Amino acid sequence: MTMSTAPAPATTVAVQARDVVRTYGRGDAAVRALDGVTVSVPAGRFTAIMGPSGSGKSTLMHALAGLDTVDAGQILLGGTDLGRLTERQRTLLRRDRIGFVFQAFNLVPTLTARENIVLPLTLAGRRPDAEHLAHLLATLGLTDRSRHRPGELSGGQQQRVAVARALVTRPEIVFADEPTGNLDSQAAETLLGFLRQAVDELGQTIVMVTHDPHAAAYADRVVFLADGRIDGELDAPTVPAILSHMARLTAPAATGGN
Amino acid sequence: MWRLTLRTTLARRARLALTLLAVVLGVTFATGSLILTDTSGRLLDDQFRTATAGVDLTVRDAVAFDSAMGVEVTRDPLPANLPERIAAVPGVAAVRPQVRGQGLLEVDGTAVVPSGPSVLASWVPPPLGAFTVRSGRPPAADDEVVIDEDTARAHRIGLGDTVTVRATDTGRLRVVGLAGFGARGGLPNSTIALVTLPSAQRLLRLGSTVSEVAVVAAPGVAPDELRDRISVALGAGYEVTPSRDIAAAGAAAARDQLSWLQLVLLALAAAALLVGAFLIANTFSIVITQRTRELALLRAAGATGGQVLRSVLGEALLVGLAASTVGLGLGVAAATGIRNLAGAFGVPLPEGGLVLTARTVLVAFAVGVVVTVGSAVGPARRAVAVAPVAALRDAAAARTGRLRVIAGALAAAAGLAATTAVLAAGAPVPLLGVAALGAVGGLALLGPAITPILVRLVGRPLAAAGVTGRLANESAARTPRRTAATALALALGLALISFMAVLGTSVKSSVRQSYAEVITADHVVESARNEMLGGLSPMVYDRVSRLPEVAVASRLRYGHWRDGEATQALTAVDPATLPRVASLHFTAGNLAALDGGGIVLAEHVARDRGLAVGDELPMTFSRAGTRSLPVVGLLRDGDARALSTDYLISLDTFARLYSEEMDASVLIRTAEGTGRAAAERAIKAALAETPTAQLRDQAAAVAGRTQMIDQVLGLVTVLLMLAVLIALLGITNTLALSITERTAEIGLLRAVGMTRRQLRWMIRGEAVLVAALASVLGILLGVGFAAATVRALGRDAPTVLAVPAGRLLLVLAVALAAGLLAGLLPARRAARLDVLAAIGTP
Repeated sequence: MTMSTAPAPATTVAVQARDVVRTYGRGDAAVRALDGVTVSVPAGRFTAIMGPSGSGKSTLMHALAGLDTVDAGQILLGGTDLGRLTERQRTLLRRDRIGFVFQAFNLVPTLTARENIVLPLTLAGRRPDAEHLAHLLATLGLTDRSRHRPGELSGGQQQRVAVARALVTRPEIVFADEPTGNLDSQAAETLLGFLRQAVDELGQTIVMVTHDPHAAAYADRVVFLADGRIDGELDAPTVPAILSHMARLTAPAATGGN
Repeated sequence: MWRLTLRTTLARRARLALTLLAVVLGVTFATGSLILTDTSGRLLDDQFRTATAGVDLTVRDAVAFDSAMGVEVTRDPLPANLPERIAAVPGVAAVRPQVRGQGLLEVDGTAVVPSGPSVLASWVPPPLGAFTVRSGRPPAADDEVVIDEDTARAHRIGLGDTVTVRATDTGRLRVVGLAGFGARGGLPNSTIALVTLPSAQRLLRLGSTVSEVAVVAAPGVAPDELRDRISVALGAGYEVTPSRDIAAAGAAAARDQLSWLQLVLLALAAAALLVGAFLIANTFSIVITQRTRELALLRAAGATGGQVLRSVLGEALLVGLAASTVGLGLGVAAATGIRNLAGAFGVPLPEGGLVLTARTVLVAFAVGVVVTVGSAVGPARRAVAVAPVAALRDAAAARTGRLRVIAGALAAAAGLAATTAVLAAGAPVPLLGVAALGAVGGLALLGPAITPILVRLVGRPLAAAGVTGRLANESAARTPRRTAATALALALGLALISFMAVLGTSVKSSVRQSYAEVITADHVVESARNEMLGGLSPMVYDRVSRLPEVAVASRLRYGHWRDGEATQALTAVDPATLPRVASLHFTAGNLAALDGGGIVLAEHVARDRGLAVGDELPMTFSRAGTRSLPVVGLLRDGDARALSTDYLISLDTFARLYSEEMDASVLIRTAEGTGRAAAERAIKAALAETPTAQLRDQAAAVAGRTQMIDQVLGLVTVLLMLAVLIALLGITNTLALSITERTAEIGLLRAVGMTRRQLRWMIRGEAVLVAALASVLGILLGVGFAAATVRALGRDAPTVLAVPAGRLLLVLAVALAAGLLAGLLPARRAARLDVLAAIGTP
């Protein structure tokens, strides 16, 4: 690694949510997916968001990433209030300041791996930094795969291409939505290792939504969500610690409900 | 299963709406054409039946054939005493002599020139006469006239007004009545002047002879029996015809004139349906691809392959039935639309209530259902092939089968071979049609294989424009079968348009070229109406030839003759004066030899018939019967075309064979020392009393000859736009469906930062790309086949290929713009997709 290690001071906040409410549907069918969420994601750290199905974790990530709007509250991304942006401004923000890794369908099937990686730059009409790109390809083990189309790559390789794409713009923050959901355990380990490496070596801020405690254990911190609310945090998480927290979460949630 | 089919169809109504539209438009076109031709036929039948309603038999001069190329032949007049002789035959209740001819109406010094005939006839009171006086009274004195209501209304002629009737002689007549014809106020596209019998005889210079004699049988006497009695009493030389036969023959002749239009309309309807079929097949295959999971689920749940097949075909049947019903309804409206359109392009069709026959209804449903179900068979069979386990897998992209490529290559090769056979080996020209079918079939089969290559080639400018363009290219190339079918549908319409444009322009410029080479006259006088036989009063020649400003005037006449079953035209010329106004090139014999009563043939005719100078050509004439004319000369093909036909006889021979007294053209050479302007002034003054005669320069004379080409070209192009419209709907349809298919991809692009604007351009880019692909294929195909046709036609008369570059560029520009338009809706829809929902779509 030739990259300089630049651990950001833990006090810097990459993105934060303040009293965020997001409701789907109307009337009796209305569901409060986010019910007054306040959370800060520190810069240069690897944060995992966990919670049972329907807890609102994906909604929170979409709101933080500017993919979705909120009904109340504020999302601040590095000082930018996302609520004040137009649709187009949010699109440009995603393109220039955010990286994404989704669970599936991360790549445009007609473009090669390399083209997929530089897609956000091409869309912006910018040329990729050749050195940076070569470094990413080498780190992710994709150098000899760059001319292949997604159909010719394994699932693990496809997700690594997606990671490279998320990192190519040197974004302020990368959002990963169940990035290992469709991978076998070995491929998942490799991918999570890369994400960890990006945080440690590049000082990249990463937010990952997952329901897998093993994946979450790679993070610096885990934020738990239940019924649209923050329900505890865990620093330097371990798998047993996460499992026990999750067990506590699901038990009242199953019987509770206001 | 049926209920499931019905529910699936209804659930996908938005998706099927565009498919439906494609079938609807095709059916509309087909039924519109049928309704229109049926209506025209019925109206013509009614018209001719009304004309002879009150009469049992008509006695006329005998001829070998009634009409040629839709023009009734002129018969010799009947002797004055014939009506008395007929009246003497037992069983005859009433006899009425009639005179009929051409008489131009002139109101306040302005000629009324209808697009059809200007009828001058003797008044025959009903029920024998077909006209009824609607206001005023019948003509009683020789200076009185009754005109038809329609003309009176259109030209504000009232009772008591004075009009001029120009026939062989001219008369100023007072309008004493207005007449109707059956339920109508006149005859379509005609003017009617009805006068007393003596007045008609005087205006037409018939002396005491008459045109025909109407006969009514006494009660209890069968018309057929009476006909035999009259025939025997009169002897040979006269024709006694039951009125219904005359009506039928007249209607048939009139319909004959419109038969080309019916042919053109039906051919276009076929083209529209073919284009529609491509789209339907396309839509069904996309829908089925998208339903793979659903179908696999059905299969997994125990549905048999047959059930799935029936379900898909059932859906097609429903669509076909619905589309046919709507198309039939719209066809009625389309018939009126096409009639107006034809009128606007100078092809008047009879106006009146539309006729919807059971056959039309049957054809509408047969066509709609057969085309839809037929187009769905391929996709349906692919649906059956879906394995139940596919529910868990994405369907792999279909590869182009080797068999398909081989079949396509064979079809294309057959097309090429047929073209070569026509061009090199002199095979008959219609074989080019087969060649065209082969080429289109080959393209349809090869399309999926060659589309990716073509897309990358044609899409190069698009790809250079940025990543959105590249993505547009890639998504078009990714689904070659779909792109090929969509593009081919449009290409077909554009190919026909370019073919017509190139062929029409080539023929026109060739006619212009031969005319310019051959006709050396300073001026030409022709009828403004471009009648089939010329329609110029002989008076024009008489007056013009006497002018001191005119050194030579030479006239041309046209006549029809029968060549077995076929009708041909000939040109009669004056061998003495023609060489001074035209430069003719004989390859054998000479013009002067025509004086002996022989005929000159165009070279290619002599070649085809194997005739040489000295041989004889048997010809059947309406009045003179079959004669054999000696061939006295062979004329260069281009020269013959400049004189309009492939057969030349002398005016003297013409006078012996025909009774028509009508010139087609008067070619004029001005006297030495007379200025052009002075000559024109003098000629125009001489034409003052013949309002339809028009002084033309060479360009106008050529325009008169090529008017028909322009009319057909214009009409066909406008109608072909309908096929193009259907094809454009296809682009919209295909794109809309492919967007549904690519929802996740679009969501991803949006998530990583593609703006709505970029996305819209990507989709529009794809639409334009398909249009560009279609334009390239279509225009190349059209120009290619037009070039081949022109070369093949060149065997009969020198024809040069003239490519109307401006017009083709316009076609290209319109196609591209239309492609952009076709992409607007899908692009908007894609841009509106919710990013989150799109990402979540599997």
